[in-house]
Amino acid sequence: MEQIINNVYEMTAFSNIIEANGTYLIMYLLAFVLLYLGIKKHFEPLLLIPIAFGVLIANFPGGEMGVYQADEAGRIVDAAGNVLAENIWEMSLPQIAHDLGLMNFLYYMLIKTGFLPPIIFMGVGALTDFGPMLRNLRLSIFGAAAQLGIFSVVLIAIGSGAFNIKEAAALGIIGGADGPTAIYTTIKLAPHLLAPIAIAAYSYMALVPVIIPLVVKLLCSEKELKINMKEQDKLFPSSNKIKNEKLIKIIFPIAVTTIVALLVPSAVSLIGMLMFGNLLKEIGADTSRLFDTISNSIMNTATVFLGLCVGATMTVQAFLNWTTIGIIIGGFFAFGLSIASGICMVKIVNLFSKKKINPLIGATGLSAVPMASRVCNEISTKYDSKNHVLNYCMSSNVSGVIGSAVAAGVLISFLQGMAL
Amino acid sequence: MITNDITGALQLLVVGMITVFLVLLIVIYLGKLLIWAVNKWAPEEAVANKGSKAANAVAAIDATTKAIIDATVSQITGGKGRANKITKL
Repeated sequence: MEQIINNVYEMTAFSNIIEANGTYLIMYLLAFVLLYLGIKKHFEPLLLIPIAFGVLIANFPGGEMGVYQADEAGRIVDAAGNVLAENIWEMSLPQIAHDLGLMNFLYYMLIKTGFLPPIIFMGVGALTDFGPMLRNLRLSIFGAAAQLGIFSVVLIAIGSGAFNIKEAAALGIIGGADGPTAIYTTIKLAPHLLAPIAIAAYSYMALVPVIIPLVVKLLCSEKELKINMKEQDKLFPSSNKIKNEKLIKIIFPIAVTTIVALLVPSAVSLIGMLMFGNLLKEIGADTSRLFDTISNSIMNTATVFLGLCVGATMTVQAFLNWTTIGIIIGGFFAFGLSIASGICMVKIVNLFSKKKINPLIGATGLSAVPMASRVCNEISTKYDSKNHVLNYCMSSNVSGVIGSAVAAGVLISFLQGMAL
Repeated sequence: MITNDITGALQLLVVGMITVFLVLLIVIYLGKLLIWAVNKWAPEEAVANKGSKAANAVAAIDATTKAIIDATVSQITGGKGRANKITKL
């Protein structure tokens, strides 16, 4: 009888969970907190909920739902030191599914190949309107200034001695405030850090309503925040009146893809897919079926698998270490510095220009579309109820998506082939 | 090793920021060029807007008013006539 009870006990996950001194419990707690934030607090629920559920199912010993990270040679070793695969790159997908479980099959097929982030970018493109950017082209430059946070944190992370240059680059890209870009860059440069970087990126994006007001309060005066963009437009009218917006919106994605492809080819997988999605939207009735598919079915499917797979990489072994804490802290700095550098750029421009710009437009130079713009609009209307800056913020916000994808392209093209 | 990495990171900072600024400046001027070219050679929407002003004026007459006018015309003409165009004076 005792033998039967022992066998049943060994069959369940309890034996391993108890032996692991509570480390699994920390992961369950993390999963529950993320589920709570997604379900109850509505923080990025479309991504946080699949990620959180992925974390939960990946951390039941014996469940075989956790993702194993292969080293550069493709060797996979489990926590106990057992070799699970000598070279995963030589294994077929059915073999990976058979030997390592369903989640590893999905991870190595959809994530490790870099397939899903560009697919999500295609859906993002279909949901993006470049109209505000085209109507306020000169404000788009703040989307470039805000990328300073990415490169500054690469420098700081290396200076700390805790990260090598590839890991630091993957950490810095959190400052772009763009989930798919962060995931894509990390897959290319430091795949073993995918879980904490994805979690940090999406958590900080969800915390945009807290972080932007904090940085704005530190750097902007009330007088600056009261700068009314519409009044400035009346005082100094723009010379670029658009007469045929539909045609420009169709040509724009084609032209931008071509230019970016020529200058930073490694960013084409992101920018190209973003612009392709946007083109299908702008063409209108002729491609409405494709637009509908990429902005709904494909994007939703990709989001489900991306979230689950990223969550499943967060196993006890991969997540509970000092590197994760470093990423959480570094990610916050990257985010804050990106917002601050956008604001500072506006202040510099205001020194030399008669037409003043509200610094909130610089604060939206990071991606996080459209939440960053909405938050900045709320801040401006708090100081002056008639001062709506949403359309102006969207200009730098959308250009920030292009900026962060270009920054990712630079990091990948410089570092991917680098030997450490 | 760290010194080499810091040098590499500094290079990345300079090259990366220059590239991002350059690409977005090109995008901005490309946008301006497109707007100028389209305004010059294909300002169709402006024409459509002029045409649509009349349509907007008709649309400005709400459905209830239109129904009343239709009913009145129908009653006066004994069901033989109908209102083709309604214009605000």
